Amino acid sequence: MSVATAFEIVLAAVVLGLGIWTTAVRETYSATVGFVAYGLLVALVWVRLDAVDVALTEAAIGGGLGGVLLLGAAARLRNTELVLTEAPGKATQVAAAVLAALTGAALAGAVLLLPDPAPTLAPTVVEHAWATGMTNPVTNVLMAFRAMDTMLEKVVLLLAIVGVWSLATDGAWGGHPGPRHRADPHGVLVFLARLLPPVGIVVGIYILWTGANHPGGAFQGGAILASMWLLTIMAGLTDTPPVSSRRWRLVLVAGPGLFLVVGLAGLWLGAAFLAYPPAQAKPLILGIEVAMILTIAVTLGLLIAGAPERSVK
Amino acid sequence: MNDFLTAAVGFVLAMLALGLVSILRGPGDTDRMMAAQLIGTGGIAVLLLLGTVARVPAAVDVALTLALLATFASIAFVKKGLSSLEANGTEPTGEE
Repeated sequence: MSVATAFEIVLAAVVLGLGIWTTAVRETYSATVGFVAYGLLVALVWVRLDAVDVALTEAAIGGGLGGVLLLGAAARLRNTELVLTEAPGKATQVAAAVLAALTGAALAGAVLLLPDPAPTLAPTVVEHAWATGMTNPVTNVLMAFRAMDTMLEKVVLLLAIVGVWSLATDGAWGGHPGPRHRADPHGVLVFLARLLPPVGIVVGIYILWTGANHPGGAFQGGAILASMWLLTIMAGLTDTPPVSSRRWRLVLVAGPGLFLVVGLAGLWLGAAFLAYPPAQAKPLILGIEVAMILTIAVTLGLLIAGAPERSVK
Repeated sequence: MNDFLTAAVGFVLAMLALGLVSILRGPGDTDRMMAAQLIGTGGIAVLLLLGTVARVPAAVDVALTLALLATFASIAFVKKGLSSLEANGTEPTGEE
């Protein structure tokens, strides 16, 4: 057994153990912390599987933003959990266990029954990389070969934000999401919120730029920018924008909007909807990605900030 | 050199597993959060070493992302913990 295999076995065992513990533990808070650590370790697994693009997303979402979202939910639930004493009945428990086991078995069966070798379009994607001038196959698939899916995903993000906003009370409608944070101006948190964002913004833009030829892209970069923004909000240096602000809403639709405009232009200039002329493919895709990184950063930030709670005064 | 680096990965991974024990045992939320931070730091080390051993230069970018965002969850932990304490009417105990 080689050292690399031993490493993989240990890593898999650790991830599996942490996963089981996170599911089994009773307090929501502990489970959330376990889940954050789980996200960090799964990023290692993705790197080991040579899926660095996925590892970047997992590190940004699973380790960072998702953790913040879940910690917020756990803090809210904690008060209700303290008063909740009644446990679900035996029948409910058995039914839940059977359902979970069946789902697990079905998933395991589906994975084991996959044809070998799997039907794949990967060689075709690599063969046609010249059409966009970019060498990262993941970016090629996301932004060119399956651009329709990516555009619709951004529209889904918009729908999600509308869903979150609709949870606002009548009085707070159109106001600022989340509480107004105040922190000690000489404290550690404010110091960090001044120190980290300049570095984070550079890294976020770098991840977007390097995405053309190496793992990276608008989503991962946008997630980093969003977390830097949330850091300044949590430190009380800035406030969340009112959701009725037209300028911020314009940023929210900029990404999918530009994507749609370029896609429609493809009807005239190219062969079809969302077909880029090969000569201009790379600048067009980069333009869309620049608009998308802003949209994604603001969308993720506002999604985690939550529903409007304070009316504009 | 590669053998040495691989051994280093194994060592850091073993430390990571120890941190995991600390997450499992607790006893407090803060202990668990600090252990998660330790796992984040160890994860960055593993990624950097792994990127060098397996020649995956992009692993450095993942390490960079983790370095930026791993602290983020603990900040949220402190903020949310404090605000829920304030909501309960007790004074925050200067964890920040």
